[in-house]
Amino acid sequence: MTEPEKQMSLDRRLSLVSFSKDPEPFIVVEKELCNRCEAKPCLYICPAQVYTWTDQLNYNTEGCLETGACLVVCHKIGAKAIEWKYPAGGRGASFKQG
Amino acid sequence: MSLEGFEVAVVGAGPAGSAAAITLAREGVQVLLLERGTFPGSKNVFGGRIYSYALRRLLGERWKEAPIERFVRKEGITFMTGDSAFSIEYEAKELELSFTATRARFDKWLAEQAEKAGAQLVNEVRVDDLITENGQVKGIIAGQDRISTDAVVACDGTTAGLARKAGLLNMLEPHEVSMGMKDVVELPAGTIEERFGLEAGEGAAHVFVGACTQGLRGGGFLYTNKESVALGLVVGADDVSIRKVPSHSLMEKLKAHPKVQRLLRGGRTVEYNAHMIPEAGPGMLTRPYTGGMLVAGDAAGHLLNNGYTFRGVDMAIGAGIAAAETILEARRRKDYSAGSLRTYERRLRDDPSLRDMYTFRGVPSYLRNRRLYDTYPELICAAAEAVYRVDGTGKRKIYKELRAQTKGRVSTLRLIRDLLSGARTF
Repeated sequence: MTEPEKQMSLDRRLSLVSFSKDPEPFIVVEKELCNRCEAKPCLYICPAQVYTWTDQLNYNTEGCLETGACLVVCHKIGAKAIEWKYPAGGRGASFKQG
Repeated sequence: MSLEGFEVAVVGAGPAGSAAAITLAREGVQVLLLERGTFPGSKNVFGGRIYSYALRRLLGERWKEAPIERFVRKEGITFMTGDSAFSIEYEAKELELSFTATRARFDKWLAEQAEKAGAQLVNEVRVDDLITENGQVKGIIAGQDRISTDAVVACDGTTAGLARKAGLLNMLEPHEVSMGMKDVVELPAGTIEERFGLEAGEGAAHVFVGACTQGLRGGGFLYTNKESVALGLVVGADDVSIRKVPSHSLMEKLKAHPKVQRLLRGGRTVEYNAHMIPEAGPGMLTRPYTGGMLVAGDAAGHLLNNGYTFRGVDMAIGAGIAAAETILEARRRKDYSAGSLRTYERRLRDDPSLRDMYTFRGVPSYLRNRRLYDTYPELICAAAEAVYRVDGTGKRKIYKELRAQTKGRVSTLRLIRDLLSGARTF
C-alpha cells in the first residue's frame, strides 16, 4: 500500500462518497443543551465526524453517512439535543460499494 | 404517476422489502415498493456476505443470476495484538453456500426482480409518517402524498422510523446497536486470488478480534470481491461513546495493522461507508406488527451476529417472505387487524433459518464481556509466541507455557467460567 493510502484522513475518505445536498436541514441540534452535556457521545459515535466541538457544538451535515447512530446515543447518553431524520428522497449520501 | 389503488406499500427496497414485494406481487397483490435512495442499494451498507439459501428460497434456481462477487471458500479469524496475529482458516467443502456482494448492485438487482414480478418501484421517496385510524395503520405519508393501502410493510432500516411512529419501539439503547464502517480497496482479481490463496471466482471472509478495537466490543472484517477487498470494523455504540474513542479512528487502527497492510498492499481505496447495526435481536420491537403494519429486516432487529457468523441479508429476506405470507393470509380473510397479523411472529419463530435468531438470543450479553476483546486475544497471541519462539533460552512444555501465560492476565476460575458460559451461549 502506498504511504498516503496508509494514513488516509477521514476527509479524504469522505471525499470518496458522492453526496447530493438536501437544501432542507435534516439534522437540527438544540445547541444550548449541548453546553450542559458531559458525555457528548455524538463526537465519538459518528463515523463521519459530523459533530465537532470548539467552544460549542458544531455540525456539518454534508458528510453525513446517514447511520442514525447520533440520535440513539444523544438521546440515551447525551442531552437529547439532536433531532434527526433522513435527508429528502434522492438526497444525501449515495454509495456505490455498500 | 398515480399512487392510488395499491393494496400494500412496502417501505424500503432493501432485501426485506424486495423479498416481501416479490412474494406479494407474484400472488397478484398490487404492491408499491418505495425507496428513498436514487436507486435501491444506494443507501445500503453491509460487510459483504450473503448466505445463498435465502435467495434460493425466494427465487429458485434463478438465484444464480444475482450479481455475485465471489463464492466464499475460505473462512478465517485472526486474534491480534498491535504487533502480532494468530490466525485460523477453514476451507469450505461446498463453495456455493455463501457469496460476497455489494449492495448497490445486489439490492438493485433484487428490486428489479420485484418489478418483474409486478411490483411498482418508486425511487427517491422518503416516507415521513403513517396514516392511522383508531390505532390501525391505513397507509403512508410521503411529503405531500397520502397513500392509502390495506397494509404497510416497514423495511426502513435500523433507525426504525415507522416502528417508532407506530409505538412499537421507543428509542434503541446504545448497547443494542453497533457502528459498522468499511473501506473498499481496489486490487486486481489475480492479486486477490494469489494473496488469499484462492482459485478464480473464489473468495475469502475474515474476522479480526483484539487490538483493532482497543479492547472495545467489536471486531474487524474483510471480504474479497471480484476486484476489491472490503475491509471494515464494527464497534459497540455504547463503548465508543462512553470511552470516548472516535469510531473512525479504530478503522484507521485496523488498516494500519501489519497483517492488514500486507493484505491490502498496492490497493486503492475507492469508497468509505458506514451503517448502524441492530444487535438487540428480534426482541428489539415490543412486537413486529401492529394493525395494518408489519416490520421486517434491520427495522425489526432481524439480524444475527452470534460471534462467528454475521447474518443480515438472509434474515431480512426470510422475514420479508414471512411478512408477505402473513399479508396474503390476512388478505384472504380480508382482515388486516393486529389480531389477524399476529401469525407473523409465529412464522418468524417457526422458520428453520430465522429460528437461529432466537436460539442465539443470549449472545449479545455474552459478547459484552470485555475480556473477549483484550485479555483473550492477547493471551492467544502470547501463547502462540511462547510456543513457536525458539531463541536458545530453553523451552517449557506447551501446557506449562500456556499456564504461565494466563498468570497476571486472568484468573483460572474466571477463564473456566468464560469458557463454560461461552459453550452454553454459542
